[in-house]
Amino acid sequence: MATKAYDKSFREEVYQNVDSGEDVKLCMQCGVCGITCPLRGEMTHGPRQLWALIRAGKRDEVMNSPDIMLCTSCYSCKVRCPRGVKVIDVMHGLAHYALEQGIVPRKETAKFGKVFWNSIYKTGRVDETEVPMRYTMMAGPVHGIFAMLEMMDIGRALLSHKRMKFKLGPGLPPSKKIKGIRGLKKMLDKAAAMSPGKEG
Amino acid sequence: MDKNQACYLCKGCGLGEALDFDNLEEVLGESGISEVKTHDALCSPDGVALIQGDVDGGVNAMLIGACSSRVKSDEFNFGSQVIVERASLREQVLYCSEAEYEGEEEAGEDRQMLAADYLRMSAVKLAKSNVPVPFKLELEPETALLVVGGGVAGINAALAAAKAGVQVFLVEKEAELGGFLVKMAKLAPESPPYQELEDTGLEELVAQVEADDKIKVYTGTTVDKTEGAPGNFTIALSGGDTLRCGAIVQATGWLPYEAEKLAEELAYGSNPGIITNVDMEAKAKAGDLGGLNGVAFIQCAGSRDQNHLPYCSAVCCTVSLKQAMMVKEANPEAAVYVIYKDIRTPGQSEEVYREAQRKGVVFIRRDEDYPKISESGGKLAIETKDMTLNDTVEIDELDMVVLATGLKPNNPKVVDAPLVALGMDQEAAKKLAAESKAQCDSWSVLNLQYRQGPNLPTLKYAYPDSHFICFPYETRRTGIYAAGAVRRPMRVSQAVEDATGAALKAIQAAHAAAEGVAVHPRSGDMSFPEFAMQRCTQCKRCTEECPFGAINEDEKANPLPNPTRCRRCGVCMGACPERIISFKNYSVDMIGSMIKSIDVPEEDEEKPRVIVLTCENDALPAIDLAARKGHKWSPYVRFIPVRCLGSINLVWIADALSSGIDGVMLFGCRHGDDYQCHFIKGSELANVRMSKISETLDRLVLESDRVRVEEISFNEVDRIPEIISEFMETIEEVGPNPYKGF
Ligand code: SF4
Ligand code: SF4
Ligand code: SF4
Ligand code: SF4
Repeated sequence: MATKAYDKSFREEVYQNVDSGEDVKLCMQCGVCGITCPLRGEMTHGPRQLWALIRAGKRDEVMNSPDIMLCTSCYSCKVRCPRGVKVIDVMHGLAHYALEQGIVPRKETAKFGKVFWNSIYKTGRVDETEVPMRYTMMAGPVHGIFAMLEMMDIGRALLSHKRMKFKLGPGLPPSKKIKGIRGLKKMLDKAAAMSPGKEG
Repeated sequence: MDKNQACYLCKGCGLGEALDFDNLEEVLGESGISEVKTHDALCSPDGVALIQGDVDGGVNAMLIGACSSRVKSDEFNFGSQVIVERASLREQVLYCSEAEYEGEEEAGEDRQMLAADYLRMSAVKLAKSNVPVPFKLELEPETALLVVGGGVAGINAALAAAKAGVQVFLVEKEAELGGFLVKMAKLAPESPPYQELEDTGLEELVAQVEADDKIKVYTGTTVDKTEGAPGNFTIALSGGDTLRCGAIVQATGWLPYEAEKLAEELAYGSNPGIITNVDMEAKAKAGDLGGLNGVAFIQCAGSRDQNHLPYCSAVCCTVSLKQAMMVKEANPEAAVYVIYKDIRTPGQSEEVYREAQRKGVVFIRRDEDYPKISESGGKLAIETKDMTLNDTVEIDELDMVVLATGLKPNNPKVVDAPLVALGMDQEAAKKLAAESKAQCDSWSVLNLQYRQGPNLPTLKYAYPDSHFICFPYETRRTGIYAAGAVRRPMRVSQAVEDATGAALKAIQAAHAAAEGVAVHPRSGDMSFPEFAMQRCTQCKRCTEECPFGAINEDEKANPLPNPTRCRRCGVCMGACPERIISFKNYSVDMIGSMIKSIDVPEEDEEKPRVIVLTCENDALPAIDLAARKGHKWSPYVRFIPVRCLGSINLVWIADALSSGIDGVMLFGCRHGDDYQCHFIKGSELANVRMSKISETLDRLVLESDRVRVEEISFNEVDRIPEIISEFMETIEEVGPNPYKGF
């Protein structure tokens, strides 16, 4: 049976409001982006199908697609697209556009982004021990402990290679700040004010 | 002509060390050539000077035993009055054989025998060759060009020929010049950056034709009758005028595929909003594209579809891109969809595709099933499979659905019966051929007064039969060239190029006719078939089988050859049961005698002999190349070049087998739908004739395994040794030919 009819309003919206949104017009559906993406196994649609959905006007499917928040910015697709579609820019553009409208297509990414942002904002660095601890704790301390136990082997290996510092828990001891953290904060504030979406 | 013969043997390229030249001189002496000279490098200036000196002294027929006739042809050319016969001692003896073989009584004897046989055959050939005298037309040859069809291809052919100084007659059936260009609103972008639609430029073209005093235009005119042959065609026009011309370009363009046939699949005719791309062009031309808010184009409407046009028309994608751009230009807000199977944008049209996308046209890939078109609330709606979404989608609110229909050639369909498919049943094959000819008797463009019918033979889709890559404009009627969309689907810029090519080929053909030489593929050949008419039994084989319709017939069924229509393939020579057709330098007797000149060892010597009648066009060069690549094969095999497998007369095979030759192979080009035969029907006819060889073999009480046809193309060089050794094994199994020593 026919799914929803083609509707042109959403594609016009994307062309106008999303970063590099007009590029979607130029996609010739070759599928290179989808097949080249290291996350192709995780993605529900992949870039190519997302573009087709945009053209078909399927707002809900696009705005709620976890794929737009799964993109790791690896640039494979953008480099390979024969039509020069800035795939990654559109992916991030769509994620921003969704967040702006209060839609969170993939909660984990949003949460992780928050922790990641906070770490940078407060200390000027990504603390490899602090960030995962805080992220796993977000779903409550019990969940956090279990999640961290699961990752114990990785943690041990990282510790033994001095890739990570030992901590008893988040903030124990607190992470070191970089020099000139004030200046960095100013810069980040300014960038956040310029960006259409929220931080993270 | 009195022949003053001599032979020159080359000792270069390793031949000197490999062969016993005293023995070769003896062999030549036995073959009637007593004047033999050797040289260390015959192709060197010194070697050539040696020969030239003798030519100046009166030698006019020579055998050169050196490399293949396909190399050093300039060095060994001593003018048209000197016969040069080349024995390929390098490729066909030295390169492809071993210095010694196990079981030889005297080391190296097999290789030496091979060389000796080639020299014997060449000596016979030389003795039987005569200098060709080019055919001269009775009347003063005419070089004017007739162009039929005044569309973009016809106009450009006329302009190109006129520019080359040729008188042109341009015949157009409509009242004005221009063909389909008259109906076109705009052309899709044809020049960089391929973003702007372009004007058709028709007025300018017509003005150029009118200003050219070498072009005489006949509008509202068709061709009633085409009589004669290249260099001397007489054309009767519908207006009553009669013209004489040397060659013809048929540029009759195309016809749109009948959309009525799509009533079931695509609801054509059920709603005025469902139109074809031709209708759409008319609307655009009339400036009637305003007020369209939703338009969908359906590609491959009846194309690439076994029930309609099985082929891709190559232009309809670009046409839809253009028309979609026109809709967008009239109303940028319009929702425009193109529903396609594959977008095919040859040449630079890919840029046009991008431009249409930039303008916001939406492309949807469908599957093989046609979209369903329906009416809803005064508008049209389409339901189609969307391959990317892997789902069925609906597009509604459409004002118009445009069916991108394909192109058919504006040319009647004439298909020869598949002779080989019908194998032995020649009567059935002929009946089928007659039926297919009858089907198009009611329609003809040129009304050729040819024994084989009034139309150009065509391939299965009514496009004139030719080779798209190797000899594109050639048709199966010499001196008549096809150009533009009648030849294959193409867009305007391609038709312009095509027209120029065809016009130049036509001019060449008229000149070749005047000089009495052949056109492609034996261009420049001065020989032509001659008929010893006293012995003709009016069997009609030659008039029926000539692939080029060169031979007419009188009321008593006597063949009336038209040498300027002839391509010199020799198919008629192979067909004639009375063996009365021959060329000055190629005849049934000549090849038959060459075969008989081969020295066949006694049965107890256990040295079988196999001959390979080899097509000169592809198989022979392939053999040369195989030898040059270092492939080796049995030293018992002798190659005999033939003009075409179709020129093989069955009597040669009977001659060979009855003189003790153990096996006969035919190496030629592929036949069938994707044939590679340079004379189109030659290898097919050879296959039919071979299917009947069993009668001959039965009569001789011989095994049918002794004769085999192999198709060899130039890129199959590496298969040659395999094919030969396999055949040699078969011959060994079958045992020696019992006729040896008779
Ligand atoms: S690689 Fe580019 S053109 Fe191909 S499907 Fe992806 S976005 Fe479209
Ligand atoms: S940039 Fe994003 S969408 Fe593109 S290949 Fe990498 S992860 Fe996939
Ligand atoms: S050009 Fe396009 S629409 Fe026309 S037959 Fe080919 S693929 Fe189909
Ligand atoms: S069969 Fe070949 S050689 Fe004979 S008349 Fe026809 S074109 Fe000429």
